Amino acid sequence: MNFAVVWRNLPYLLQGLGVTLQTAALVILGGTVFGVALGVVRTSRIPLLRQVAIAYIEAIRGTPLLVVLFVVYFGLPPIIGYKFTAYQASVIGFILFIGAYIVEDYRSGLASVPRGQIEAGLASGLTVGQVLCCITLPQAIRRMIPTLFNQFVRLLKFTSVASVIGVTELTGAALAVNAREFQPIEIILTLAVSYFVVCYALSLVGRWLNTRYAIQT
Amino acid sequence: MIRFRGVSKWFGPLQVLKDVDLDVAAGEVLVVCGPSGSGKSTLIRCINRLEPIQQGEIAVDGMALHDPATDLAKLRAEVGMVFQQFNLYPHMTVLRNITLAPLKVRKQSPAEAERIGRDLLDKVGIPEKADQYPARLSGGQQQRVAIARALAMQPKIMLFDEPTSALDPEMINEVLDVMVALAKEGMTMIVVTHEMGFARKVAHRIIFMDEGRIVEEAPPETFFAAPKEERTRTFLSKILAH
Repeated sequence: MNFAVVWRNLPYLLQGLGVTLQTAALVILGGTVFGVALGVVRTSRIPLLRQVAIAYIEAIRGTPLLVVLFVVYFGLPPIIGYKFTAYQASVIGFILFIGAYIVEDYRSGLASVPRGQIEAGLASGLTVGQVLCCITLPQAIRRMIPTLFNQFVRLLKFTSVASVIGVTELTGAALAVNAREFQPIEIILTLAVSYFVVCYALSLVGRWLNTRYAIQT
Repeated sequence: MIRFRGVSKWFGPLQVLKDVDLDVAAGEVLVVCGPSGSGKSTLIRCINRLEPIQQGEIAVDGMALHDPATDLAKLRAEVGMVFQQFNLYPHMTVLRNITLAPLKVRKQSPAEAERIGRDLLDKVGIPEKADQYPARLSGGQQQRVAIARALAMQPKIMLFDEPTSALDPEMINEVLDVMVALAKEGMTMIVVTHEMGFARKVAHRIIFMDEGRIVEEAPPETFFAAPKEERTRTFLSKILAH
């Protein structure tokens, strides 16, 4: 095996990695916000809002990630009259996708807060909104850290799918290099190791956060 | 202060309160006892509308509970509640547990809320625990924090739902001492409990409930010495046996 091909193309591959990391960062942020917001709607006391949220969640969960990206990239522009770049479409698609999964983690996080504490909050005169903000959410989010980071690591791996719609993230860059140099073993191996390193680092961050912010019981 | 008229409540098909009438005067200490499932916890949980009623009327400090126009948050601010499972917020320090509601509901300044909070912690005997997290405290200490937390809102009425039932026997007294002191200060208290020693010491009246009805109602001397109902006698013989 001769890894010179990797060193030769390092700047291009690193650029691809940069796009992967940037996408992941945007989607982690946007997806979490969207997932929590969707979770609030999903657990609302108004039946219509709940049903809209459920319909969305079931639709997304029944659709492959790639098809979601296709819908955003090819299907939306004719309807809304704005053409996304491949990169924008991938970020939006990932956020829409991962939000529908984070919502379930959010619901289980909410449910993990003992009902008694909510009663204590209400009994002291706090409004439902205040109980949510001060008592439920701070605990739910901290309990959600392990499962959220699970989703984030999955997401990091999913970003490779964006290469199909032409985004030059890490996988896209690697495939482009291989098309030119045709040394698949070294290139794919490097690709796999790169993803592993980044994913493992992310899971370590999650583990550290969990230890640091765990609620003592 | 508190008035129940013809109150009935169902959980689905099961009727847990049957046509209950009750009057509690300001400054009165009322102890509610009875077997499991008699409706005693439900009774006090109706007072701050943690449980809604299907029939009858409840008035608390002049406010009609069943009236949709009543400001529920405002009513609950005047009624403090202490739970069997303490229900402290584990992600906040003891002091923050106590000052949360006064800050958010009574809109007190942080300085004043902290001062009142520390005074209350001192009053329940654990001023040094202010900056600890609840997990570090024993059960008895946690319950005393819960009492301080309820008192921080300076309520007119304090409800206690089996406050010592989840405690180790050695810790029961430290909590009961706080409650006795509170009663002697003239707080209107309704206490669901099996601690008959406490009832004898400070209750003005004891109520025995069974299957959703108030079976007997009497001051402690009469209640323990000469209960009128057979059901009351049976219950007392069982719980006073140890």
